[in-house]
Amino acid sequence: MKSKKLLLYICVIFSIVLSTGYTQTRLHKKLRPHYKTHPHHQIIRQLNRGLPLHKKSQKYAEDQILVKFKPSVKSQSIETTLAVYNSKLLKKILVGNIFVVQIPAGTTVKEMVYIMSQNADVEYVGPNFIAHITVTPNDTFFDYQYALYNSGQDIGVPGSPQGKNRADIKATAAWEETKGAEEVIIAIIDTGVDLEHPDLVNKIISSGRDFVNDDFDATDDNSHGTFVAGIAAAETNNNEGVSGVAWNCKILPIKCIDDEGSGFYSWIIDGIYWAVDNNASVINLSIGGPETDPGLEDALKYAFDNNVVVVAAAGNEAEPVLYPAAYTEYCIAVAASDYDDNQVSWSNYGPEIDVAAPGERIVGCVPSWFWGAGSIPYAFGSGTSYSSPHVAGFAALIKSSKDWLTAAEIMNIICYSADDVNSAEYPGKDDYIGYGRINMEKALVPIIITN
Amino acid sequence: MRYIKNLLAVVLIFAFAPGLLFPQYQELSTERSVKFKPGIGFEYLNRTLDWGEDNTSKLNSYLFTLNAEIEIQDRISLSAIAGYSLSNFDKLLFRQLPFSIELDTGNIGGYLFGSELNFKIYNFNDFEIRARGQFVYYIATKKEWDIPGLSVSGNVTGKPNWWRIIAGPQITYTGFDYFYPYIFISYTDLKGTYSMEQSIEDLSGKEDKKIVSLGNICAAIGTRYELTDYLNIKAEMLLIPNDNSLDYSFILGTIFSF
Repeated sequence: MKSKKLLLYICVIFSIVLSTGYTQTRLHKKLRPHYKTHPHHQIIRQLNRGLPLHKKSQKYAEDQILVKFKPSVKSQSIETTLAVYNSKLLKKILVGNIFVVQIPAGTTVKEMVYIMSQNADVEYVGPNFIAHITVTPNDTFFDYQYALYNSGQDIGVPGSPQGKNRADIKATAAWEETKGAEEVIIAIIDTGVDLEHPDLVNKIISSGRDFVNDDFDATDDNSHGTFVAGIAAAETNNNEGVSGVAWNCKILPIKCIDDEGSGFYSWIIDGIYWAVDNNASVINLSIGGPETDPGLEDALKYAFDNNVVVVAAAGNEAEPVLYPAAYTEYCIAVAASDYDDNQVSWSNYGPEIDVAAPGERIVGCVPSWFWGAGSIPYAFGSGTSYSSPHVAGFAALIKSSKDWLTAAEIMNIICYSADDVNSAEYPGKDDYIGYGRINMEKALVPIIITN
Repeated sequence: MRYIKNLLAVVLIFAFAPGLLFPQYQELSTERSVKFKPGIGFEYLNRTLDWGEDNTSKLNSYLFTLNAEIEIQDRISLSAIAGYSLSNFDKLLFRQLPFSIELDTGNIGGYLFGSELNFKIYNFNDFEIRARGQFVYYIATKKEWDIPGLSVSGNVTGKPNWWRIIAGPQITYTGFDYFYPYIFISYTDLKGTYSMEQSIEDLSGKEDKKIVSLGNICAAIGTRYELTDYLNIKAEMLLIPNDNSLDYSFILGTIFSF
């Protein structure tokens, strides 16, 4: 019994000695890889690890302030003053007589601004704010695209109506968060797309599919599909033409409507299945008819079940919502708003309406042949047909930044982030603009949560 | 009865272990006492957190603690720590939720648990070297916030937790009568998870954000001051450098001795 106890004591002592040594070994093992693999030791680094550039949330330098002393204060006394505050002069901006000052560790910018503002020699003191890039594309006609950014500008030729400031879909703010991913494809089921249009040629992934003529050349012989495609994803920041909502996303043209602007439901059903099977993430349907059809509904369900977001125009007759937009379970029905954030009188209405997007006096692409030689291939147009691709581009941007989301979730995000711009008259979801005019910033830029 | 004897034996082993490990002290171990030292403490903690995407933010915490320390022979002491903390994770971003969010919510209250082990290693002249290690775990109570600006009502529910270890040698100067300044060089690590759930009508999502502190080497200066035989005061300032900034923490505590 005594020997057993002695053995127990020896074991316990031995384990204490071992554990001391083991702890030291673990510390060495943990420390070394940290320094070896630290990114600063790599020669070439990807900006933001290859991810889209995000807007940094920092508003100002946390260890610096800007101080402007009164002109009567001599430079020697400035140095003395800074020393009294235990602050360090980092730089003098000569022309403005402004000093960049490092504040002492342990103090906040807010505290130092308050403390130094009490000094009679100081004319001005404030944080060293950080400016961020703002995304304003250089496309020729961007200023006319009030839908993307509305500063209250003339929305067309001089003398045309002026829009209401910020009656827009907040595209520029959203682009700071994401401009879309090339892998995200928007299928334009329409009259086809001008495959050679200068603002679209680099965005189209293939010549698509033509269900009207049953071939693989979805060239536009009407103009409607080209206009729609340009709104959703025209080449942007290329010093030419218009900006697309989804800068980097691609276009898959599918022709299901003939040159007269009509198409059989069978062509559209075929087009939807083909789009889903050819990797489309979003389908835009700026088309519609008054009749319901189970085959059409099944095709929409097929897209929905395969996580493809379907966006459809409500129609322009001031009547009930057309199909397929009215299949509200499987697609987003889009009404038209205007440059003042009002619902447009001709926009169809009903409980199926999910959201609204600008559709009045929209500038967009038309085929190169449309106006004839010597004219620029752009035009103004109105209709829910042009509201819908704003939403399709928006859906593509959400898919680009969060590819794990389901179609239903993306549809909900689009609805819940909308601005209820007619809340004074119809608070909440209504039959005219649904949840409201879409707001891309709210859906894509992080929302600040406060107490 | 046999179990009590065995337990007593193990306790005695722990009591004598330092002496057995470092035989040079056996001769000095004239005083064989067990002291109970309850204490209260306060710590302010400022750490840089790395949470991926090349993004960092700060964790600012106030820790209020109650300590129950048992000291054996002035050689080894073990403390149990319990308390409350207010932790601030502002500027933390959650991009995996249906709607991305950024925190600007201020402090979140939570409970603290932990322990500290401290034992004497070596004495020379007026210097004493001790080994010291501490583990603290913070778990917050769930908190809910409304999501502003949406066309429908929605909310997020956050629940953060973090743990911290700090361990290393402490060199104390014992040449003064009541005043014991020391330096403490240590390895430290702070990790945690901030769980955030989002619920907006039929839209929901959850993100568990892993947070890791930057900087693992910590240098501290501190002092213990014997006000009376029964009351000590402790103050300590820790500096933790990292690539982005210099993090810091300071501790104030009172220790009673019975």
